[in-house]
Amino acid sequence: MSVREAQAGAALAVRRGRVRRLRLGDWAVRLGSIAFVLLVWEFVAPRFNPLIIRSPSAIFRAFFELVGTGELQDALGQSLRELFAGLAIAIVVGVVLGIASGRWRFVYNALDPWVSALYSVPSVALVPLIAVAFRSLGDPPRIATVALFAVFPILINTQQAVRNLDRSLLEVARAFNTSERRLWSDLIIPSAVPFILAGVRLGIGRGLIGMIVAEFFVGLVGMGYLIVEYENVFRIDRMFVPVIIVAAMGIILMGFVQWLEVRVAPWLRREQ
Amino acid sequence: MAAAERVVVDRATKVYNAGALNVFSELRMSVHDRETLCVLGPSGCGKTTLLRAMHGLIGLDEGRIVIDGLEVKRPRRDVAMVFQHFGLMPWKRVRENVAYGLELAGFSRADVDQRARKYIDLVGLSGFERAFPHELSGGMQQRVGLARALAMEPDILLMDEPFGSLDAQTREILQDELLRIYQQHPRTMVFITHSIEEAIALGDRIVVLTARPARVRETLTVDIPRPRTVAGVIAHPRFLELRDRCWHLLRERTTA
Repeated sequence: MSVREAQAGAALAVRRGRVRRLRLGDWAVRLGSIAFVLLVWEFVAPRFNPLIIRSPSAIFRAFFELVGTGELQDALGQSLRELFAGLAIAIVVGVVLGIASGRWRFVYNALDPWVSALYSVPSVALVPLIAVAFRSLGDPPRIATVALFAVFPILINTQQAVRNLDRSLLEVARAFNTSERRLWSDLIIPSAVPFILAGVRLGIGRGLIGMIVAEFFVGLVGMGYLIVEYENVFRIDRMFVPVIIVAAMGIILMGFVQWLEVRVAPWLRREQ
Repeated sequence: MAAAERVVVDRATKVYNAGALNVFSELRMSVHDRETLCVLGPSGCGKTTLLRAMHGLIGLDEGRIVIDGLEVKRPRRDVAMVFQHFGLMPWKRVRENVAYGLELAGFSRADVDQRARKYIDLVGLSGFERAFPHELSGGMQQRVGLARALAMEPDILLMDEPFGSLDAQTREILQDELLRIYQQHPRTMVFITHSIEEAIALGDRIVVLTARPARVRETLTVDIPRPRTVAGVIAHPRFLELRDRCWHLLRERTTA
């Protein structure tokens, strides 16, 4: 046994090592890609009309101007509040409806036409309706817009995960006389977790779009306001600051969810 | 009959697609106390279906299966199953996978702990308690599956081609482990396989099934004494004779 154990142990170490090395390489490529684009941008931008495009260094300076006036912090706080509230609603609603419709045929049939319809309609078209429905230009309709944009990938992913439960594991659970409650905690939830998190990652991207769209259409606040405001006065350098920050929010939040995946689903840590 | 009958399969019939597909019909066999009964048959002859019916995972269309005097209706705690596909939960570590059945059966935390440790040790996986299944080789994964079933300390162990998806070397190692475990604690076992060598190495008796619809072609007694090892069985003078007999029985039907 000891020889076999040693072999297995070595195999384990090799697999883990490979994962770590790969990650380092991944990061080098990512950072290199960003640096390359910024560099090209910096050299190409001066050849164009500054009303159309400005260089990264000019945007960098504009960033500090906006921080200096406090505008950026205010707008960011406003936008983050909408985003997090909207995403929280989307996650709760998406996961609950996703699990319910994945597990019970009745809920699936009742929900599916609406999900399909709302998912295919460009959500942008619904934003003015939301504002009207809320009879307000405050946070609630914007939060609802973020939730509407973000909810479907979460809902559909969760639903598919539950619907496509591993039948052989289901049989194992039955062979060991599982209760319905333990079936959820042993099988349904854990097997859905990676799909839910993947859905959340997609939802974050869509939620950010929803956030900006809502800020354009409903009340003009936050990052959306900064974009519109500085575009109107042809301060492209300043306009680009919120655009880049929204992009950075996406990168950071999705990275966070990816990190979370490793934490809550450590069994997925296998070589790609 | 000297040995008590633990499992009785009585005219068991299973059809699929509203009778269009006859999986097996009028099957009769019985498993004696503390024997290993190997069920040998060509691929797709319904061996696995029979085993699932023995555990009450599926119902029969006719006939019945009785274990220790009780007709099988649903999975029972005194019967445990080892699956061809291992059936490990990828999100549970080795210890949690082994403890799974015990927890469901409502054992106390201390008992679950103690038994899980005992059977992880028995199948030679000490030191891997915290590994996830995907970090283990196929052979080690099936050791987990075996420990999970043995931890229930079942009266009857049902084995559904447990080593079928392993490479030849690993399979032989695990067959030896199973013989060793049997020697420590003889237990009534039904072992499904399509490997003649495996059936002879592990079985006290072999039920040879025909192709679909499966019927019992013949029941052979493997008169090779225990304790056994796979190598010892293959070297035994009776081995070739038994193997030829099985071959003959299996082939006879496929050409018919």
